[in-house]
Amino acid sequence: MNVLFFLNGRAATVDAPPAARLLDVLRGPLGLTGTKEGCGEGECGSCTVLLDGAPVNACLVLFGQVEGRSVTTVEGLGDPEHLSPLQEAFVKEGGSQCGACTPGFLLSAEALLSTIPQPGETDIREALAGNLCRCTGYQRIVEAVRAAAKERTSREPG
Amino acid sequence: MALVGRSVPRPDGPAKVTGRARFVDDVTRPGTLVGATLRSTVARGRLRGIVKDPSFDWTGLTVVTAENVPANVVALIEEDQPVLASDDVRHAGEPLALVAGEDALRVQRALQHLRADVEPLPPVLTVADALQHTAQIYGSDNVFRTVRIAKGDAAAAIAACPVQLSGTYATPYQEHVYLEPQGVLAFWDEGGGAHVLSSCQCPYYIHKGVKRTFGLTDERVDVTQAVTGGGFGGKEEYPTILALHALLLARASGRPVKMVYDRKEDIEATTKRHPSTVTVTSGCDRDGTLRAVSIRIVLDGGAYVTLSPVVLSRGALHAAGAYRWEHVSIEAQAVATNTPPNGAFRGFGAPQTIWAIERHMDRIARTLRLDPLALREKNLLRVGDTTPTGQFLKESVGVARCVEEAKKASRWDAKRASLAAPASSGMFRLPPPGVFPARKARGIGASVYMHGAGFTGSGELAHRARIAVDLFADPETGKARFRVRGGSTDIGQGTETVFRQIAAEALWVSMDRVDFATPSTASVPDSGPTVASRTVMVVGGVVEAAARALFARIEGDRQAKGGSFEGAARRLLAAHGIVTVEREYEPPPGLAWDDATYRGDAYPVYGWGCAIAEVEVDLDTFETQVLGLWSAHDVGKAIHPTNCKGQIEGGLLQAIGWALQENLVVRGGRVVNARLTDYVIPTILDAPRFTTLLVEDPYSRGPGGGAKGLGEIPMDGGAPAVAAAVEHATGIVCDRLPLLPEELYALSKETRR
Amino acid sequence: MSLAELSLHAFERPASLANVCATLSRRAGKGEETVLLAGGTDWVVAQRVAPLSLGGELPLVLDVSDVPELRGIRVAGERAAIGAAATYFELRHHAVLSRRVPMLTAMARDVGALQIQARGTLGGNLATASPAADGSAALMALDADIVLASVNGERRVPMGRWFTGYRRTARAADEVIVRIEFTLPKAGGHQLWRKVGTRAAQSVSKVALAAVGEYERGRCVRVGLGMGSVAPVTVSLPSVRALALSPGPLAVGDDVLDAAVRRDISPIDDVRSTAAYRAHVASALVRGFFRTLRPVSSAG
Repeated sequence: MNVLFFLNGRAATVDAPPAARLLDVLRGPLGLTGTKEGCGEGECGSCTVLLDGAPVNACLVLFGQVEGRSVTTVEGLGDPEHLSPLQEAFVKEGGSQCGACTPGFLLSAEALLSTIPQPGETDIREALAGNLCRCTGYQRIVEAVRAAAKERTSREPG
Repeated sequence: MALVGRSVPRPDGPAKVTGRARFVDDVTRPGTLVGATLRSTVARGRLRGIVKDPSFDWTGLTVVTAENVPANVVALIEEDQPVLASDDVRHAGEPLALVAGEDALRVQRALQHLRADVEPLPPVLTVADALQHTAQIYGSDNVFRTVRIAKGDAAAAIAACPVQLSGTYATPYQEHVYLEPQGVLAFWDEGGGAHVLSSCQCPYYIHKGVKRTFGLTDERVDVTQAVTGGGFGGKEEYPTILALHALLLARASGRPVKMVYDRKEDIEATTKRHPSTVTVTSGCDRDGTLRAVSIRIVLDGGAYVTLSPVVLSRGALHAAGAYRWEHVSIEAQAVATNTPPNGAFRGFGAPQTIWAIERHMDRIARTLRLDPLALREKNLLRVGDTTPTGQFLKESVGVARCVEEAKKASRWDAKRASLAAPASSGMFRLPPPGVFPARKARGIGASVYMHGAGFTGSGELAHRARIAVDLFADPETGKARFRVRGGSTDIGQGTETVFRQIAAEALWVSMDRVDFATPSTASVPDSGPTVASRTVMVVGGVVEAAARALFARIEGDRQAKGGSFEGAARRLLAAHGIVTVEREYEPPPGLAWDDATYRGDAYPVYGWGCAIAEVEVDLDTFETQVLGLWSAHDVGKAIHPTNCKGQIEGGLLQAIGWALQENLVVRGGRVVNARLTDYVIPTILDAPRFTTLLVEDPYSRGPGGGAKGLGEIPMDGGAPAVAAAVEHATGIVCDRLPLLPEELYALSKETRR
Repeated sequence: MSLAELSLHAFERPASLANVCATLSRRAGKGEETVLLAGGTDWVVAQRVAPLSLGGELPLVLDVSDVPELRGIRVAGERAAIGAAATYFELRHHAVLSRRVPMLTAMARDVGALQIQARGTLGGNLATASPAADGSAALMALDADIVLASVNGERRVPMGRWFTGYRRTARAADEVIVRIEFTLPKAGGHQLWRKVGTRAAQSVSKVALAAVGEYERGRCVRVGLGMGSVAPVTVSLPSVRALALSPGPLAVGDDVLDAAVRRDISPIDDVRSTAAYRAHVASALVRGFFRTLRPVSSAG
């Protein structure tokens, strides 16, 4: 079945089974392997993408459910030569170690900063509570989000 | 501008934050088949055969059983473990047969129609049963290995002490939960060469296993590490089995085969941290001066030897803790049971024994009514002391400073006095039964610990880590570039960053001119496995030596012929095409170890640490929240401070999870909660705020000005500090992990009685 | 129906409630199974651990997450109607409910974490009928009504009669949950949401208590309770409710209260907790709530 939706800001039509998981369609036919599968049951958040701006687990969304909606994956945030403030902060502050959870964290953090530009520590922790990381102990991730929030505000025209 | 000591941005970072980094499941080759495993559902039995349902259409499917395995052994310490079970089935989850096909559904259908005919036998499921010999499952006594360490005469010395105390301390399984499950992609080339792309810590372990099982020579086997999503020891030995499975299917099908475990299979089938029971009996003076200790350690090794003997060894060597004892007696055993084999996990036996000795130190403090940290400070090892194996500590013992700094940062003295009443003799302090909303108690607790860096004893000498540093011409600019080659892997901990820092510093060039070669056995020398807190300290030292030698070579040419460093480098390139310097590990002079008697220098040097936890316990529900975690670790020299802190905080949180939440439920030898919904690791809301201090007491032979191993030590200290804090808050004596609310509730009822 | 078979399911997105009802009626008449899918936080997860089908017809997946009649939250006067497909995220950010039923919005905040809240729905919670469902406990305390629709029109089932057994409900195969309705608790009373779970987020309840105490002229006139994970179904703690009205929260002794809790629950040992702990916590939470049920000087 052809499904029309918006992927990383552009209209996309993909022929894939509508009952397939969004995760499998992204990683398979679309070749967007930045979205990772860590548990397949909505526990770890490694497959987090934004659906109409809200973080969701791509392992629990069926592809047919995204028809007409907008999906943002890590590939839509920036590329290695043009990192977004969040991506840059994760590199600088040690927010990413093994990298398997990183794309999911970035999308959850992106959703946070788009609604709360200057989040407090509680806001940050609550926004990232659906993403598991086993490497960092989370502190460097909190620092990275804080640093990115600062950077984004300073980049905005005064 | 010095590179070493600076938290430079990770060079592997941009690929990881943009989703460009290619993990094994992100890679494919044309014609790749999906592979899957048929596993035993019984814990012990005799395999009579694998039966294919004749009514099922097997077209396009490949099935492999033990008879298709050339040499059916997994080459590790012992060769007792088969690649696929042939006669004996020794644990639930043991691989019995393999299937490959075009897609996952087809393969799962095939598994549905493949039946293992197993005659069940009574299993040995507990260490107690194994030691009582309810059935003989390994050797003559069900014991994989016994380690004994003796210094002086512990029994007599304890008997002569005015204060004699004994306690038994236990720890459970722990699952690694690296976020990327295990996976491999394997294929054979037309010349009969084996190729493996693996999520792994140790490409050369796989190399060895493949050579052995398929009877191949070195150059016919190419094992390459894919970007690896965490390891923590879990990707030390298991990836060898997985690679062998995929290669068997690839050989039988003539196609590339990918096997990626889903989380359930990963938890059910791969290794875990060894459960332990440790009994500590000590003798000391009334003022808390420690005199003698006797320790008995039992680890549950599971069904096969795997790495249990060395895990046991490290556990035994850390069992007396960071303290001076005149007399020590340690006896440690790893025992066989019909459960999935336990294996390497960050800390490698030390977290279990340090848990025991640290809880025992708190028992002594409680009994003598001493401040727990004051007791520890009084007895800390110092330069000039000797360890239980008789090792003379000649340098880099920064433990006193660790304690001092962690104490100060956490405001230990004030909190210890104010949060809860002074530690009494274990009297239960909860109010009588009667429940009030949100009754909460706070407490603070500490642990002090050390971790031997590098392989135990003569291990480094046997391995002789090798590293190559190349000078080559940048294909685009023609300028001189450099490259570090070795088998040491970056599994998230930052090997690439630190090796490039060390090499660039030694070569006097910027970091972006130094590459880190993807570890591939076809193109890198064997620098040994990425384990044992050895990568920075031991292998990093070899990187530094090789880079310095290459620098000397170029600089020599410059001095002889004039011009710039770049000019000299280009002259060498013009003459030789590529210039490679290879170096191998040189053991520190005077290091001596006797494996027969367990005497001598167990490790070249130790890292040291102090962790202090503040907790809040809900007195109705017994939920524990760790509010703050202050730690100080003597790392010798912090080559990349941010990475150091990331390692410490990650390790401490892993320890907090082990202490409070993680609970692998095994029934009848089978894991019954093999999913992340039920085996719960800490979320960001469970994690405390960390205050992470780095102490630098340099090791004279460490790279970058004295770096020591750091990867494992934080795992040693988290759990006992948290338990001590819970004990301080509630008065409940916590000797057994995990401190689940259910457990604390049950203990509170016992204590009240 | 393992995950490998997921993509083989037929999938439809009906545009209206009438379409949903028509499809359900047609298929139920022929004995064909239909899965009503909203957030997928339960059903898709279940497919992962379910064994492979034996090769028969797979159920039709009907995505009801975007059916207009199932969407949205409306408050009219003292009556609230929550669409079956409204998400926890919508619930926790609803201005009137946050003010009048903070217990409910606190519950929504405790479900999983943001990713689950963005997808999960009360309709799904009620339909899958897990005894650990937080939403069901909260709705039980509100004594909500569940409004079902079929080609024959609407039908209302009170929460007290919704669960008919472990993971079984009063919904017939040709019915769909449209919305949940309840009367807003009187202002000025006491409400409690307390989830004791496996960890601080992404947590399954070991015991959860939803409670509402309502007052008139300083007298407690209604106590609504719902408790999860202590029985095969979400329980309403009827014996405890009765004690709250007579002899009343001040007069009832702890022993009597504990005995009532014990009568109303039947906890078990499982991989997440123990029966003994659950019983203890159930009592602790109920005692805690009763302690807050003091007479208040004026009813809002």
